[in-house]
Amino acid sequence: MDDIRFAERDLCVTEAKIAARDVQVHYGTNHALKDVNVDILEQTVTAFIGPSGCGKSTFLRCLNRMNDTIPGCRIEGRLTLDGQDIYDPRVDPVQLRAKVGMVFQKPNPFPKSIYDNVAYGPRIHGLTRNKAELDEIVEKSLRRAALWEEAKDRLASPGTGLSGGQQQRLCIARAIATSPEVLLMDEPCSALDPIATAQIEELIDELRAQFSVVIVTHSMQQAARVSQRTAFFHLGRLVEYGETGQIFTNPHDPRTESYISGRIG
Amino acid sequence: MSIGILVLAVLILAAAGFVLGRQRALATAGGDPRRLHSLPGHYGQFTAILAAVPALVLLAIWLLAQPLAIESRIAPMLTADSPADRSLAMADVRRISIGLDLLAVSDRLSEDAVASLSSETLAPRLRQVGTAVTQVTPEALSAAKAHRTMRHTLQIWMTAAVGLTAATCFVFALLRIRPDFRARNVSERFVMWLLIAASLVAVATTAGIVLSLVSETLHFFRIYPAREFFLSLTWNPQFRGGSDLGIWPLLWGTVYISIIALIVAVPIGLLTAVYLSEYASRRTRGWAKPAIEILAGIPTIVYGLFALITVGPALRDWFAQPLGLGASSSSVMTAGLVMGIMLIPFVSSLSDDIINAVPQSLRDGSYGLGATQSETVKLVILPAALPGIVGAVLLAASRAIGETMIVVLGAGAAAKLSLNPFEAMTTVTVKIVSQLTGDTEFASPETLVAFALGLTLFVMTLVLNVLALYIVRKYREQYE
Repeated sequence: MDDIRFAERDLCVTEAKIAARDVQVHYGTNHALKDVNVDILEQTVTAFIGPSGCGKSTFLRCLNRMNDTIPGCRIEGRLTLDGQDIYDPRVDPVQLRAKVGMVFQKPNPFPKSIYDNVAYGPRIHGLTRNKAELDEIVEKSLRRAALWEEAKDRLASPGTGLSGGQQQRLCIARAIATSPEVLLMDEPCSALDPIATAQIEELIDELRAQFSVVIVTHSMQQAARVSQRTAFFHLGRLVEYGETGQIFTNPHDPRTESYISGRIG
Repeated sequence: MSIGILVLAVLILAAAGFVLGRQRALATAGGDPRRLHSLPGHYGQFTAILAAVPALVLLAIWLLAQPLAIESRIAPMLTADSPADRSLAMADVRRISIGLDLLAVSDRLSEDAVASLSSETLAPRLRQVGTAVTQVTPEALSAAKAHRTMRHTLQIWMTAAVGLTAATCFVFALLRIRPDFRARNVSERFVMWLLIAASLVAVATTAGIVLSLVSETLHFFRIYPAREFFLSLTWNPQFRGGSDLGIWPLLWGTVYISIIALIVAVPIGLLTAVYLSEYASRRTRGWAKPAIEILAGIPTIVYGLFALITVGPALRDWFAQPLGLGASSSSVMTAGLVMGIMLIPFVSSLSDDIINAVPQSLRDGSYGLGATQSETVKLVILPAALPGIVGAVLLAASRAIGETMIVVLGAGAAAKLSLNPFEAMTTVTVKIVSQLTGDTEFASPETLVAFALGLTLFVMTLVLNVLALYIVRKYREQYE
């Protein structure tokens, strides 16, 4: 594990942004997620690792109720965002998703111009009063997604014409344009080459200043590089959750150790 | 030998070729199929193809060429004033010639007896064996006898030529079989040509339709001024000639009815498609989609009856008469509404498929940003599906333009230029039917105008289709 460069871990924050208590998820008869208890901290990058099908993406999608769109999906337990129950009937999933943004595994820019892609969220949520404000948000978001220099001269050209890495950064810009409080990333680099991956990882580290970031990844190096907290899922259970350095160097659970040393997965 | 038996014989030879070719291939390889270049079956196919295809092609060409050859020899024996008379006389000769065959069989006549038949008493005897002739002139009879002899001789030659070709190719194929012979390539090549031939049928038919339309249209414009046809605003065909055959009243009727139909069909169809693909549960969709598609299976004549009996009178009693817009139950509105209902499944079914083809990742992306379902549909899904939807609408438009039955029963047959949607009007297609089925002489402008109308219609739908293709290509969104 010496080759892994650990991110700086200044964990001054200990407040839980999202708290999960005994979360169970069923897809029809399939019990996909069992007894998950986790506190996701503010201004922290939390990585979810684990073998395919272990439930980490499912749990991620619970955090902004994206599972609502899947028929037959049932969620039990308590999930809170700033103390407010996410699955309370009074909570509007639409408003929740504005607060909890999401970036997907495959870059999925809308077939619109780069500008319209970024302006999509602010427009539907009515975040701006005029064109100048919208321009400002678009520029700010693209700058923070490290795409401004490449895209500023072609804001009107379609977002689908960008390269894979640029498209993924566009999707990140689109997600942060609505100023969410939590940013969920579902394997954001799995379709990208190493250079684009490095750019996105750098970006994630910068985003930590404003948001709480949750990232699902299959790359343990990536988890070690970008995150301060790591959760290891296996067969629908949260096996171990703790400070990233501790998980990778001194895991308490033998299953975690087998996974990070490549014996299971 | 009759043609059916000949074809059967060739096919039996081909089947034998398959078995023999396969066996011979295995025998040359010493019974080990691994030493062969291709599978044993490929050698069988090779032999069968070679035995059947050249012979059958020869047969087809012969059958096409034989009547032409015979008739060019017979033609000088007939006296005729005009090409039309000549073709009538030739048809008589053909009928008598076939009749003689039937007569020879039913009355057991020898060849000499047939040759000595005289024309006086022949007509009733021919009618008895089922040949439709009124009278037999000596000239026609002698031509028919010559026709019959030539037919018989050529038939024998044909049987010999086809049989010889099949046998030669069959032997040639068997001799070619060696372990290193690439039989698979031949059979693959044959499959390719078969597919090309199948696609050519559609293309050639289109070309043929266009050519026949064009030639008749040119004929029409020789006897009726094109200026009048394209610029005159009256449609008033007279049986005694001197008609006004301006296309505009018909074109206007077509366009007016189609527009009303599209105004009905496009919004309803599109909203249905959005509901089915985005909102409906899988179960609802499972029965709703087929139920809507039943609409597409109703014959248009049934829609026409619906227009005539239900919609027309209802519109007249509740809208046209109270508003003082007309007293006719046939109206543009009736036909347009009913045609619109007919087109709903077209628009909805095609659009539904297109909307379903929009990747789920775009929906996820939009929902993930906190968009509502209707915002997602409006801002992401419809724009992404737009080119396909435009294609679907234009397809529906060409259906509307070509529709006939609903118009006949719903909108009437009066060619009029009017803006009142409750007035009876008619379309190009209806007039094509009425002009072609009228009692006028075929070579008159009143009949030939049907072809000019047909060509105009064809050009219109062609332009719409090309436009649809262009729009789809130009604005197609690359999802990834």
